[in-house]
Amino acid sequence: MISINNLTFTYPGSNQAAVRDINLEITKGSFTLVVGASGSGKSTLLRCVNGLVPHFSGGILSGEIIVNGLNPVEASPKIMSRHVGFVFQDPESQFILDQVEDEIAFTLENIAMQPEAMHAKVGEILELLDLQNLRNRRIDSLSGGEQQRVAIGTALSLEPSILLLDEPTSQLDPISAQEVLLYIKRLNETLGLTILISEHRIERIISFADNLVYLKKDAAGVINGAPRKIIQMIDLVPPITKLGMALGIKPAPLSIEEKGRITQDYKIHDIQRASNQMRENFESKICLEIQNLQVELGKNIVLRQVNLTLHQGEILALMGPNGSGKTTLLRTIVGFIRQNEGGVYLFGKSTSGMKVAEICRQIGYLPQNPNSLLFSDSVAEELMVTLSNHHPSMDNQALEKARLEVLNTLKRIGLQNQQLAYPRDLSVGQRQRVAIGAVTITSPRILMLDEPTRGLDYAAKDSLAKRLEEWRQAGMAVLLVTHDVELAALVASRVSILDEGKIFACGDPSKILRSSETFTPQIAELFPQTDWLTAQDALSGLRKI
Amino acid sequence: MNPTLNTWTWVIWLSSTLVVIWSTRNPIYLGLILLTLICVWLSAATRINKQYPDSRSTIPFSPVRISVFIIFFSAIFNGLISRFGNTPLFYLPEWIPFLGGPVTLEGLAFGVINGMVLSGILIAFMTVNLTLPARSLIRLIPRAFYPLAVVTSIAVTFLPNTTRQVDEIRESQAIRGHRVRGLKDWLPLIMPLLIGGLERAMGLAETMTARGFAGDEGKPLWTRSRVGLVFGLLFLLTGWLFQLIPALQVVGIITSSFGLCLIFYTLWTVGKRVQRSHYRRETWTYLDMFVIIGCALILSIYLLPFLWLDKSSIAYNPYPIITLPQFDILIALASFMLVIPAIKKSNSNSDLHNQIRSDD
Repeated sequence: MISINNLTFTYPGSNQAAVRDINLEITKGSFTLVVGASGSGKSTLLRCVNGLVPHFSGGILSGEIIVNGLNPVEASPKIMSRHVGFVFQDPESQFILDQVEDEIAFTLENIAMQPEAMHAKVGEILELLDLQNLRNRRIDSLSGGEQQRVAIGTALSLEPSILLLDEPTSQLDPISAQEVLLYIKRLNETLGLTILISEHRIERIISFADNLVYLKKDAAGVINGAPRKIIQMIDLVPPITKLGMALGIKPAPLSIEEKGRITQDYKIHDIQRASNQMRENFESKICLEIQNLQVELGKNIVLRQVNLTLHQGEILALMGPNGSGKTTLLRTIVGFIRQNEGGVYLFGKSTSGMKVAEICRQIGYLPQNPNSLLFSDSVAEELMVTLSNHHPSMDNQALEKARLEVLNTLKRIGLQNQQLAYPRDLSVGQRQRVAIGAVTITSPRILMLDEPTRGLDYAAKDSLAKRLEEWRQAGMAVLLVTHDVELAALVASRVSILDEGKIFACGDPSKILRSSETFTPQIAELFPQTDWLTAQDALSGLRKI
Repeated sequence: MNPTLNTWTWVIWLSSTLVVIWSTRNPIYLGLILLTLICVWLSAATRINKQYPDSRSTIPFSPVRISVFIIFFSAIFNGLISRFGNTPLFYLPEWIPFLGGPVTLEGLAFGVINGMVLSGILIAFMTVNLTLPARSLIRLIPRAFYPLAVVTSIAVTFLPNTTRQVDEIRESQAIRGHRVRGLKDWLPLIMPLLIGGLERAMGLAETMTARGFAGDEGKPLWTRSRVGLVFGLLFLLTGWLFQLIPALQVVGIITSSFGLCLIFYTLWTVGKRVQRSHYRRETWTYLDMFVIIGCALILSIYLLPFLWLDKSSIAYNPYPIITLPQFDILIALASFMLVIPAIKKSNSNSDLHNQIRSDD
């Protein structure tokens, strides 16, 4: 179905190949998961299959690709679109029209399909993806998961036999992500579609895949084969596999369904967490307090009587489904949205009447899209801008002090070697670090991060987790808004669940995360009778029978 | 979104509204027209709110508020700038450049009238924009300009995203203590917006390419069409130049007509080449008919020279001394004809009636 021989591709203006010496055979009807570190060439590989690379991107391609008997380099993307459907990462940015049904029909109108056939085709796609009830809805009124289903529907409208998906769940909460993945699996099983999907959060999807492609670092080729075999050879593994590997179980389990392979040989001797982050922070100083906060946007009540405290030296993970009000809460705290009732208190002082800049000198706030912060020519300049914003008239001495502060911050975020680099040229993880640097250079005592693991691979996530722990130990209070259950399990001192604008639960992560159906880490699912949340907890508490 | 009227009916209504607004400066008639336009907008907004309660971008802002804002600022601006009029309200010191001198009642009144005209135009466009979905806008563009139609639809869907992006960037920079003090302070706002906009445009272009929207290359007829269009325009221009010379006026009209025919023929042949089908078929209803008759009536009243109708009240000028505008009941009643699109249909479930799927 897809045959790739010695594929090497270099983007225009780059002196490094994005992918090199790729040899791959994908069989018809298979479900292939493509993994690799950020920048390893996953998206490029997928785009080579439908001809977007090099037709859309330009660049130099060598080697051979054959897809359904066609060479995408010789055939145009227009021809390839009949064979290969493509679903992109960001659901919102891939639509042309404003209504579900029209969006799916638009591709068919473009090929002048007869109205009767078109109607049947649209109906069929809507039914296949359970979108019948949404057919007349505006796309911008749909949830992220629903939008991604519509995007899959539009990709299927030309009846392709191959479906490529580039991190389709990276912006979705766990429920929506699971829902989308189940539909993709259903398409694979019922229609026999060949699926090629790239994904960072392997734990979500590895159990569906029958083929795993790992792109080595620095474009050094691929390893390809059965997931069970390949997973033993790579460093990007889900927690349960990590645990299995650490316990020496061969082959290591891939999903919760295979938990028996661990539990049959090991027994629990200590149910406590090895790294209990709780540390009774209630004794420590309250940095941020939210009292009976109610926020209405238009006619909608987005936050209802929210009460929350953030203590010095703790990481509070705020979780909840898409649209539950998490970002609104953060924006209200920094003063972008005015509350209708209740109050926000910063070190005991009400923020009402305080300017955003004044609040942000004490709270470092990293919004969801770090790109919106970056505009300077170099990383060092980017950090300097924040300082000069807060202190517009600096004398020579202050300027020298500011430069020193920039160097210290660069060290703290691990970018001292990139200080002259153009921020937007950096990897996703590095760009995020620049943005964190830009908001923390004023040494705020509180840090608020909104979905910081979007698009980050396991290594970048580990690095973020370490940095958060360092900050926590230094006495900073961190409010972390995330869908990433495993990150919350790893770093959170406390967890709060926000749903429909209300705080439903708040407390010890091992209690909250284990009691939540949606936000349960793999290890907690595996050992529900314990307090464990991470592979490290389980390793300390298990003993061989 | 399902418009209650045929797309062409909305186009006729919009055109008639614009013509009528441009034809009069009588504040009473303009007030009545504004009132009818607000009614039509409210009716459309209520229906859309009901239909899409959870949509994020259907109703951007209230037309009443925006009208008050425009009229107020137009009055202040004109009042301060204009030096005409015989009824001074107060005097600004002469040493203030551009503004020093009398502020007159007539100047303020003229500003109010201009504000009413501007508000009317804006509300008419807002209503059509609110009511017509992107697909209807695409349909309005001739098939020969199909790529333009796609660009239009992208622009329509791109705008709300850009607005959101502007807010996002503004907030992100405010977090870093950014304030706009001088020209260079716009850079942190403009740069991410430009780069982000380009990235999104590239992303959408990539999506469209992946969905098979790439253009067909190297078709010989396109060259012929281009030549046809160039020659058509050339004949049109030459004809117009000939018409400037009294002796060559007839030749000029013939040449221009030939140029026009050539342009239309070329567009028609190009349009025939663009293969495209429609998922929804638009139909005409009695309400469409009423709206069109209403538009024809109001246009006739405002534009045609009826002997039995004194149309002097349509014109109004507050200078040099303000007077009460004249009023004609027939013209006032005709102004209400623009309200017909606000009429609710008896069968409320028939919102889809004139945008039925092609095979229904």
